Formats: sequence, C-alpha cells, structure tokens
Amino acid sequence: MEQKNSNQVLSKGKRPVYKNQWFFLLLAEVVLAVITGTINPRFFSIRNITNILEQIAVLGILASGMTMLIISGEIDISVGANIGLVSCVIAMMIRNDISYFWIILVALILAAFNSLLVGSSSLVFKAPSFITSLGFLSVFRGTAYAITKGVFQTIYGKFEALGLTRIWGILPLGFLIGISIYFLAHFILKYSKLGRHFYAVGSNTAAAYLSGISIFKTKLAAFLINGLLVGLASMILLSRVGAAQPTTGSGLELRAIGAVVIGGTPLSGGKGNILGTFFGVLLMGIISNTLNMLRVNPYFQEVVFGIFIVASLAVSAFSAYSGRGIFKKFIKQSREG
Amino acid sequence: MAVRDRLVELKNIVKVYGEHTVLKNVDFDLHEGEIHCLVGENGAGKSTLIKILSGAVSPESGEIFIMGKRVKSLTPRLAIELGITTVYQDAEIVDSLTVAENIFLGNELKSKIPFKIDKQKQAQETQKILKRLGIDLDVNEIAGNLSTAGKQMIQIAKALHRKAKVIIMDEPTSSLGLEETRALLTLLKNLKAEGLGIIYISHYLNEVFQIADRITILKDGEKMGTYLLEQIDLNTVVKKMVGRDTALFFQRRPIPIGDVRFRVHNLGKEGLVEEVTFEVRSGEIFGIGGLVGSGRTELVSLIYGALRPDKGEIFIDGKRIAPKSPIDAMKKGICFVSEDRKKYGMFLGRNIVENLTSVKNKLSKGLLLKLNEELRLSSQTVNRLSIAVSDRDQLIEELSGGNQQKVIIGRWLLNSNATLYIFDEPTKGVDIGAREQIYQIMLELAESGKSIIMVSSDMPELLSMSDRIGVMRNGRLTHVLENNNLKEEDLVRLFIGV
Repeated sequence: MEQKNSNQVLSKGKRPVYKNQWFFLLLAEVVLAVITGTINPRFFSIRNITNILEQIAVLGILASGMTMLIISGEIDISVGANIGLVSCVIAMMIRNDISYFWIILVALILAAFNSLLVGSSSLVFKAPSFITSLGFLSVFRGTAYAITKGVFQTIYGKFEALGLTRIWGILPLGFLIGISIYFLAHFILKYSKLGRHFYAVGSNTAAAYLSGISIFKTKLAAFLINGLLVGLASMILLSRVGAAQPTTGSGLELRAIGAVVIGGTPLSGGKGNILGTFFGVLLMGIISNTLNMLRVNPYFQEVVFGIFIVASLAVSAFSAYSGRGIFKKFIKQSREG
Repeated sequence: MAVRDRLVELKNIVKVYGEHTVLKNVDFDLHEGEIHCLVGENGAGKSTLIKILSGAVSPESGEIFIMGKRVKSLTPRLAIELGITTVYQDAEIVDSLTVAENIFLGNELKSKIPFKIDKQKQAQETQKILKRLGIDLDVNEIAGNLSTAGKQMIQIAKALHRKAKVIIMDEPTSSLGLEETRALLTLLKNLKAEGLGIIYISHYLNEVFQIADRITILKDGEKMGTYLLEQIDLNTVVKKMVGRDTALFFQRRPIPIGDVRFRVHNLGKEGLVEEVTFEVRSGEIFGIGGLVGSGRTELVSLIYGALRPDKGEIFIDGKRIAPKSPIDAMKKGICFVSEDRKKYGMFLGRNIVENLTSVKNKLSKGLLLKLNEELRLSSQTVNRLSIAVSDRDQLIEELSGGNQQKVIIGRWLLNSNATLYIFDEPTKGVDIGAREQIYQIMLELAESGKSIIMVSSDMPELLSMSDRIGVMRNGRLTHVLENNNLKEEDLVRLFIGV
C-alpha cells in the first residue's frame, strides 16, 4: 500500500483523451465531414453548416433531457408524441391569436405535466418507465388527433422568431438556445446535488435510499426537467416548421435516445455525461445531412437511422460490460443464479 | 453397517470466492439408504458444498464422483439427469398448477389426441407416488394453496417420479411448524428405507440427531470430521463447530463506558421481529449474534427506518425518535453500514469522492455541491482510513473488497451529528489487514463517545469486539450477555436453542 502523508489531497486521475467516448465521435464526425465535403464541396458552405446547426437544435434539447433521465435509470419514449400534442395545442392557440405569454406558459406546463404523468405512473405502480411511456405515447398522440380532428394546423408565419431568427445573419437562435441547454444540463449534472442524486439513483437505487436520497423525488425531478425541455423543443420546432399535426415529432424520441446512448450514457443508468450527448447529437445531424448531400433516397435514410440506433445500443451493451466480458458474466450468472 | 454402494463422493474440493477460500480440501461421501447431515455455523461452507454437488457452482479443484463415475464439469441439468435433486424452500413449484401437474411438469403424459395431456393418468400416477410416500395431499389441489411443507413434499415426490437417487435438503424446516417438521422427518426416513441417499443441512441439531446416520461437521470451510451417529454426541458437535485458534481473535483495548444514549423498547414488526428491548451506552459496542434469518438485519433496519415498525419505541438521549425513513434516521443521528456493500452500499461506476460524500451532501444545506469541500473531506477520509486509491477519479469497483468497505464506512464518518453507528457484518468479505483497520475505526468511534451496534455472524469478531452480546433467535432477542469469559460454544448453543 502506498504511504500517504496526512494532509495530501487526492490527485486528479490521468485518463488519456482517446479513452473518452466523445473523442471517437469527434473522430467519426471529422472523417464523415471530410468524405462528404470532398464529394460535395457544398457541405462546407456556411449555409449548409448553419442548416445543420438549426436542424440539431431541437434534437439537442431533447437529448439533454433524455441524458438526465437515462442517467437516473429511467427513460421516456413518449417525448415524440408529447411534442406532437404540445405543438398541436399551441398551434391552435396561435391561430386564435392568444398572447405569446400564455402560449409559452401552456407549452412548458403541458409538456412537463405529460412527462410527470409518465414518471409518476411508473414510480407509483412500480412499472418500468419504458412501459408507462409506451402507454402514454398512445394517449398523447390520440389526444392530439382528437383535438385537431386530424387537421393540419398551419400558423401562417406567426411565431417564427424562435425558430428562424439568425443572429448576425448566421447563427440560428434555436442553436444558441440548444447550446445554453447543454450548459445548463452540464451544470446540473456536475455541480448540483440534484445531478449527483441522478447518478446515485441510477447507479444503485437501494444504496441511494439508504444514503437518505428520496428515489421518488429525484426521479420525478428528472421527468420534470425532461418535460420542460420537451415544451421548449416543441416551440422551437413549431416555429421553424410553421405547422403542426399529431405526428409532428414522431421518431424524435428514438433519435434522442440513440444520440444519448452513442454519446456514452448506457441505458442501465448511473453513468454518462452531456459532452458525449453533444457529440452524439452532432453525429446524428452530420449523418442526416450527409445522406442528403449524397442524395441518398429518403426512404433509405430511415433505414440507415434505424440501423444506426441499433448499432449504438450494441455499443452501449458492450461498453457497459467492457473489461469483464459480457458473455463470461452472463454464463457465471446463469450458473450461480 | 453393511457395505453399500457409494452414490456420491467429493474429493479435495476447493472453492474460492474473491480473496476467500470458502472450502479447503473438503471430502464428502454419501451411501445408498443413508441420511448424511451437514452441520456448521453460518458461512462454514455447507451451502457452497451442496451447490457444487448440484452443479450450481463449480469448484476450483477437486474431484466429483457420482455413482462411481468421475464427472468433470457438473451443470445443474446434468446433476438432475444423474439423479441428484435439491429441494429448495419455495422454488421450482408453479403455484398456478395442480399437485399432479407440478410433478409431471416438463414430462407430461400424452394422451391419444395429439398435444393433449392425459390429466387423469397423471393424477392416478401421482396418487400412487404420494401413497407410497405416505403423503396426505389432494393431487388436484392447486400448488399455490399449499403450505411450505406441502410444496417441499411435492418437490420430493417429483424427484422420486424422476427416479432421483440423491435428495439434498438445505434448511428445510426453518419455516415449518412442529407437526410439519415431524411429518417431513418421517418422510425422509421412508425414503431412506427405499434406498435413497439424503444430504440434510440444518441448524437444528435436535433434528439432526433424530434422523442422521452420519454427521459431517464443517468449520470455516474445513471439514472437522465425519462421524457415525453412535460415535458422537450433541456437545461434541457444538465444540467441533466452534473452538477457533486464538490468533483469529482481535485484542481490543478497553474503553470506558458512559451513560445510556440509545434505547429501544418493545420494538417489533409482524412476522420479522418481536418485541425487542435493549439499550446501548456511550462508548459501548453492543454485538448482536444469531443464525442467518433470526431477524438481526430486520431489527437494525427497523432502527434505521428502512423498515417501519408496527410497535415499540426508539429513544436517543431519552428523547423518543420514530425514524420514518433512512434520511429521517440520519438526521436524528443514526448511521447504518449495511451488510451487503454491493447491493446496498456502493455506487458502481462512480468515483470514490462521490461514494464518500453521498451522506455528507445529503445532510448539508443548499442546492449546489461544494466541490472543493468534497475533495478536502474525501482526501482526509482516505488518509485517515488509509484507503488505497490511485487518484480521485478511480471508480469504486476498481478497489479491493477491504478498501471498498472502508469507503462505505468512511461515508458515515462524515455524518457529524451521529450518536449511534450500526454495523451490519462490518468485515464481510474483507481481508485481515483491512479487518483490523475497520476494528480500529470502530474503537475510535467508541472512544469519541459514540454508541455502536454490531451485527455479526463471525464468532471471533463478535466475541473480541463486543462489550455485551445480544442473541437473536426467531425474531426475538432471547438473551443479552456480558462479554466476559463467554465461549463460542455457549453462544452457538444459544443461537440454535439447545
């Protein structure tokens, strides 16, 4: 054992930069960008880059909330449907010229309420949030169909400041909001007790409880933050697209989860960080843009994304057991079971 | 005794878990038509031995012979195919099926119509088996309606139906009443008469002496001997189960004991703990011993608010506290180091600083973390407990068992308003060096006037650390003993109630 003198402070760990998940993502992004840029030089045009940033703003906000949820050991696959419902509701309000103050308030509260429904039903009924959110996915989308009667809700260019403003003509406002959300999420995870509690309940629920942490409050807080971010994302999306329908946002939940997981946050919870999520989202954006640039058939784009998400889950499954060997562990468990 | 065929033979079995050798060159055998009992204290290696024989665990070295043939790698499935059946308390019975269906599960009798089970024939066959064994059960009864004893009997019947040669029973009577126990023992004697071999594990030595042909005694993973029933008496068995080398005992320094600081009165919870009353003084280490399942962990969980009591009161410094939850107990000055650090203690995937400061953070005010303070306090704790770590970003799972345990204990040293420290199995799975350091930490706490409750299955630990020892049996605190000149065997006798 190493002898230490009595007032020595623990040193920082020396972990090489290439051992971080985000480093690989960055590498992949650079490679993709170079390849695409060589084939189609328009990829590096300011217009295209601005376009990418604008497109990933909404996904980034959703992925930030999802990161905190997944770290706490929960998940919400109803965020896409939640966006659909919220966008339809506020689009109808905009069409009726209700003041923006109420619109923003309703967007945030409704989205947060929906997310809390998913979370509290999971916690009270002791059911996995994957299942309760699957149920609520249907509830939210069905409600959206019912109130719109399936009709497309166009807002005729109103409420476009949030989604279409470009600062100095270049930087999309949505992207700036997205970036500030990353910082906020990073701050919560790294510097607040709540963030520490997210990691604790995700890592070991029983130990967290015995350390005095309220599992219920902590997980509900993760759902609340997730909901507020869904509300924000809904407004930006509606503002950029200019119309809403019940299917608005569908599929976004899977992309957000995919971005989180490929960013190094395992679905088992208790680990991960927002930097990984940032690069995960960026990778999603670049892939999407690359497929467009290379004129890949849009139907195949869906296929590519699906495969990409499955691949990212595989990466997560293996990295969660890295070093120990997933198969060895599995065999040991089944034998000693 | 007539020479009979050997059903099972284990030779030189060694099993290591982490840093611990739980079985050291153990030999064991079983003849046809014999009941061979395995006895020993908690953690002596009895369960591990039968897990090896049932294929659930594979030994590091040693040989296994079944029906005279060497078996190189035994799996649970192979063990059953070779005729070895382990009867568990509850498992393996499908509650929603009838007795007959359970017995024929996976081996259903087919009728002439394809895919249809011949239920009638199954019921008849089951009736025959039950009658042969003298078991009085309705074959069409739903298994879920049966008692534990009934379920065990179905498992035995099922084993017989599958032509088992060896039946292993691990603590079968621990949740049975007197009548049920008697019926089970009679059944085992009938099985023996039919030529089966039975391995029977029990803490209840009275039962063992009623049915055993031979008795094997294990202590700390070593075999202390195998005896014919006629060759040995109960007192000798108890003596062989204990009686350790003095080197295993820790020489602690005496610490002056002050006033009563902690007291429980008639504390109880239905079915787990019944009306427990005791007190702990400042500077005192109150040991709690008893068999696994005697309600020790449940008792301390009640005190810590992790379980809610039905009745009784808890006092600190004469003031009544009623912890509603762990956080409530923490605020009222109770610390709890739980018995299973992996399950209830460690935040895997998190670094040592986060693991050390979880309690402190919860108790301090404000919404934000004080990262500098965290670093300072964890560095202090690491130095004070000489925890071997490389840097602050090291994950807790990368430490050795002893260092992990020190981190979990260190977490609680940062609870500045603590009055009572509860240690549940404080040195389980910890190497000798770290063990002594943990004892030193406990003594330092006692010296600073804290009260300590220490639950332990480790006899030398209990005897060398405690000022007084409380004995738990069947959810009751049956005795509270001053720890002077107490002997291991006296304690074991009180634990098992003979």
